[in-house]
Amino acid sequence: MTGWQVGIDIGGTFTDIVAARDAEFRTAKVPSRPADPVGSIFAALEAIGIAADGIDDLIHGTTRVTNAIVENKLEPVTLLATEGFEDIIEIGRQSRRELYRLDVPPKPAPLIPAARRVPVAERIAHDGSILRPLTATEATIDAALAAGTRSVAVMLLHSYANPEHELALAERLRGRVPYLSLSHQVNPEAREYERCVATVLNAAVMPLAAEYLARLRAELPGNARLHVMHSAGGMASPEAAAERPLLMALSGPAAGVAAAAAVARETGEAALLSFDMGGTTTDVALILEGRAEITVDARLADQPLRQPMVAIESIGAGGGSIVRHGPAGLSVGPQSAGAEPGPACYGRGGTSPTVCDANAILGYLNPRRRLGGTITLDAGRAAAAFAPLAEQLGLPVVELALGVLRVADATMARALNKITVERGVDGRGATLLAFGGMGPMHATGLAATYGITRVLVPHASSAFSALGCVAAEMSYTRQRTLRLPGEGFDAARLAAARAALLDELSAPLLAQGVAQEAIAAEETGLIRYRGQSYAVDVPLSGAMDGAGLGSAFEARHRALFGFASGEAWEMIGLRLRVAAPRSLALAPPAPEPAPPRPFATDPCWFAPGAPLPTPRYERAALAPPHRLVGPAIIEDDWSTILVPPGWSATARPGGHILLLREDA
Amino acid sequence: MSTPDPFRLEVLRHALTGIAEEMSFVVMRSARSPLLREAGDLSSALTDAQGQLVAQGRDIPVHLGVMSFTVGAFLQRVPAERLRAGDVWFTNLPELGGNHLPDVKAIRPVFAEGRLLGFAVSLAHWADIGGAWPGSYLASATESVQEGLRLPPLRLFTADGPDEEKIAVLLSNVRGPAEREGDMLAQLAATATAERRLLDLCATHGAATIEAAMAALHDRSEAAMRAAIASLPQGVFEGEDFLDDDGPGGAPAGIRVRITIEGETAAFDFSATDDALAGPLNTTPYVTAAAVYYAMKAIAGPEIQPNGGCYRPLRVATRPGSLLDPPREKPLVGGNHETSQRLVDAIFRAFAEIIPERLSAGGSTTAGLLIFGGAGRDGAWKTLYEPHGGGEGARHDRPGRAATRVHLTNTNNTPAEIIEAEFPIRIERHALRPGSGGAGHHPGGAGTEREYHVLSPEMSLTTMFERRVIPPWGLAGGEAGAPFRCLLRRPDGTEEELRGKANLPVRAGERVILQTSGGGGYGPPD
Repeated sequence: MTGWQVGIDIGGTFTDIVAARDAEFRTAKVPSRPADPVGSIFAALEAIGIAADGIDDLIHGTTRVTNAIVENKLEPVTLLATEGFEDIIEIGRQSRRELYRLDVPPKPAPLIPAARRVPVAERIAHDGSILRPLTATEATIDAALAAGTRSVAVMLLHSYANPEHELALAERLRGRVPYLSLSHQVNPEAREYERCVATVLNAAVMPLAAEYLARLRAELPGNARLHVMHSAGGMASPEAAAERPLLMALSGPAAGVAAAAAVARETGEAALLSFDMGGTTTDVALILEGRAEITVDARLADQPLRQPMVAIESIGAGGGSIVRHGPAGLSVGPQSAGAEPGPACYGRGGTSPTVCDANAILGYLNPRRRLGGTITLDAGRAAAAFAPLAEQLGLPVVELALGVLRVADATMARALNKITVERGVDGRGATLLAFGGMGPMHATGLAATYGITRVLVPHASSAFSALGCVAAEMSYTRQRTLRLPGEGFDAARLAAARAALLDELSAPLLAQGVAQEAIAAEETGLIRYRGQSYAVDVPLSGAMDGAGLGSAFEARHRALFGFASGEAWEMIGLRLRVAAPRSLALAPPAPEPAPPRPFATDPCWFAPGAPLPTPRYERAALAPPHRLVGPAIIEDDWSTILVPPGWSATARPGGHILLLREDA
Repeated sequence: MSTPDPFRLEVLRHALTGIAEEMSFVVMRSARSPLLREAGDLSSALTDAQGQLVAQGRDIPVHLGVMSFTVGAFLQRVPAERLRAGDVWFTNLPELGGNHLPDVKAIRPVFAEGRLLGFAVSLAHWADIGGAWPGSYLASATESVQEGLRLPPLRLFTADGPDEEKIAVLLSNVRGPAEREGDMLAQLAATATAERRLLDLCATHGAATIEAAMAALHDRSEAAMRAAIASLPQGVFEGEDFLDDDGPGGAPAGIRVRITIEGETAAFDFSATDDALAGPLNTTPYVTAAAVYYAMKAIAGPEIQPNGGCYRPLRVATRPGSLLDPPREKPLVGGNHETSQRLVDAIFRAFAEIIPERLSAGGSTTAGLLIFGGAGRDGAWKTLYEPHGGGEGARHDRPGRAATRVHLTNTNNTPAEIIEAEFPIRIERHALRPGSGGAGHHPGGAGTEREYHVLSPEMSLTTMFERRVIPPWGLAGGEAGAPFRCLLRRPDGTEEELRGKANLPVRAGERVILQTSGGGGYGPPD
């Protein structure tokens, strides 16, 4: 008998688990133990009654790296940088974050203080030629070791063109410092400040990640294979993750997007917008033809990461976001009531009006159900929190609550806009895939604001990131710098680079027992007009010649920017993604086929005037071909699906619920 | 026309601001010159049908302030009846709601439901606009026409396509025509995106609602600015600061402001400012207003949504014939980022005694500009236009940060790895300049030092920076920051200090070393 495939996502408040074995499927949510993440994993396993020795694969999404960066709990690092460029980490790109605010510092404090920046006497040119050989290496190494940190970052100019000097330093440092991070490995691309930050951040989270993964490995039985979710939405081995922990910076959200991509492949949705609304933030991503879009421009805590990552647009608006009326008008977030004290309706001492409170006032949240078995919702406290603002604006509380949801929707719609515009896609034709604690309740409102008419609430929507860990393909992505001019295109060099990358990326999959023929490769060319800074992602299909690439690039440029100029172009990089698909039967057990009956009917407000009697259904009682017409509410212990008037809800195979706008 | 409810207003505010931000994204991603794609010297705005600014990107404050006048002035020259859907007009005339010749504005009227709804405006700094010297910054200029091509409103695109003849005239008079054409197309694309988005919004909400929302947003910002002004101490306050010189040389030139805060309005009278200068440090009344707008937002209302209404309670007066309102034949290329920043200094200094806690000490208030021109590594002629940040002035509650942009500008630097790959220049050093921040209870931020090693036989060099003679000022007893310094070091080891406004050839083996100013300190040193 085969063992369990287990996905675990440790978030700030809850740890989600999903386990699948043949046709069996189990899921649970347990409180996270922030001080003891390994303990959270074992508690989650216990909750679904699976012993550690029954696990074949454990795939883990973690926010440990994310939180370390966001909360600035970073290991001290010593930086070795080309002489004359040690201060780049502090100079940055010199622009400021806020145009009109003098009270906030214009940029974050430097990641490394001046005393731990060690100059390296050497110089490489942009073409990789050596202008000044590496000398006085021992003195440099001594200076680095004298700083006394466990982790060292090396950033030499143009090392992406020639890594010789970085490798020479690494050779002397290895064995003398436990953790080492080299810029040409972390981010083999031009732009010294961004590469330096990525390398330093990688160094700064290495000890934490390595120790955590080692502990987890030690506590799991030997037969259980451990994998880590990386930010591009695939799985990495713990060894790879320990070497390049920065790859896990978006591990948790990427797992959710990986699950969304799996749902897109399963249901055949051509364009999907994933909508993950939690307590303090909302993450959206675009999935075309079952693939999440990838970017290297993601930032975290105002720092560039320069890693291939799922292109997630994150906005500071969630269920706990505080509603405020300031000089610019009514706003939602980014300040949040967080998990403690939480929204006023949680009754834990919160008094600020939040988005969640608006939902409670409007009757959407079931006051008789304990959220996650622990929290009872109190609409009275929510109304009390809204009263002062309602009075200030001269509006009834209900009207203010309805308005607040519209403002929240407008705020989130901007994130949808950004993620689609940057890819040259009209998002209105896409299906919105709603998950996370608040996603299913807000999905139809956001869809209506944005002009979307189809919403899918997937199976296991409240433990969706954990599901993503199980459903994700085993995949690795890497990007390589190339400089191939369009005129006289050197297809042979492209083919050679592709073959080398393919071998490199396939190795870990082959090592895990994947058959060569099961490995699918997907190539993206990074192409631009000569003179542009930013390249356009052009999917490469098979062996393409210069002419084919040129016209594919121009078509893509036109789609993105509205024009193509026919000028000289160059391919500056190749990104390769290899994946081994996983086949898992994730269908939940079929419920009773009897038509669903509401277990309660409550008044809910959808417009000013009067509330509508709104029936509530158990989500578990719905199965195809059941169809409900709004107003209706579908709920389980963790989330509420709102079906407003004008929308219908249909149960779909696989445990998904499809919401359709009927009046569009 | 009924006012939208407060929530629909928020929905539309988000949507309109999102469109302006999207425009800047399109320019930066598709433009050709490093000045746009790396340094980000561009701005985007939407206006209503009268040309009042409705929404802006997170761009460059001096551009945004000026753009609140551009369309209004444009409409006086080109009546609305002449405008058609699909038109894109280009202009750079300083006297037409402008600032200086390199900042070219693309203006697209947007029509919805048969009427003019508003305008999408994309401003981009062209790395060359012709004239006597590569990069179009002539230190010795005495006339505007020496500074480059003056473009009165020209309809370069219509619904039928580009007007090839006009575009050919334009591109025949600038250096690097292929790069300029790419930048122009990027501006065209940005305005097209804005039009598409605005029409989508109209389809959802109706044009009348959008128009009503624009008016309501103006009114709301106006009310917020009035309240912010009322929170300031009432009275008359005077401030002054000085430009190092007028361009080719001469004595420091005085900028003087008399501010009257009275109830909910504020008046800024610059009449006592010196007369127009011989050299290119003059500027326009629009730039003067942009400096006032910036200063008042930063001091009194950083959270207020910036739009035309925000500025209604502010009065700005300049004296014709002064360096802020010069005869139109006067040169003014440097005024845009040098004189404008000095205006902010003068305004801050007027408030220094009464509300020091709302201010920061003097910072690196200059573009700190070096422009290199010549053949790039690919053989094509190009310019490297590189603005340099310096130290931020300290505040009552914190030291100034090192190496940043302050006040009216917010451009990035270009990475050394990009410069070296594209230009025959090696960056030998890019470091902080120790000890350059002014002493104080909280010290000013440090400036930077960057060394450019010229590799090709000859390139042109332009300097355009201030704070070389008169350093950034300390606040509340803090000391001044170190001034700018620019050295030319020859292969034989001899050195020459360059002036803040100069044009000269530089040759292989020569090094240009720029040290930028530190910020002023706050409070007496402990």
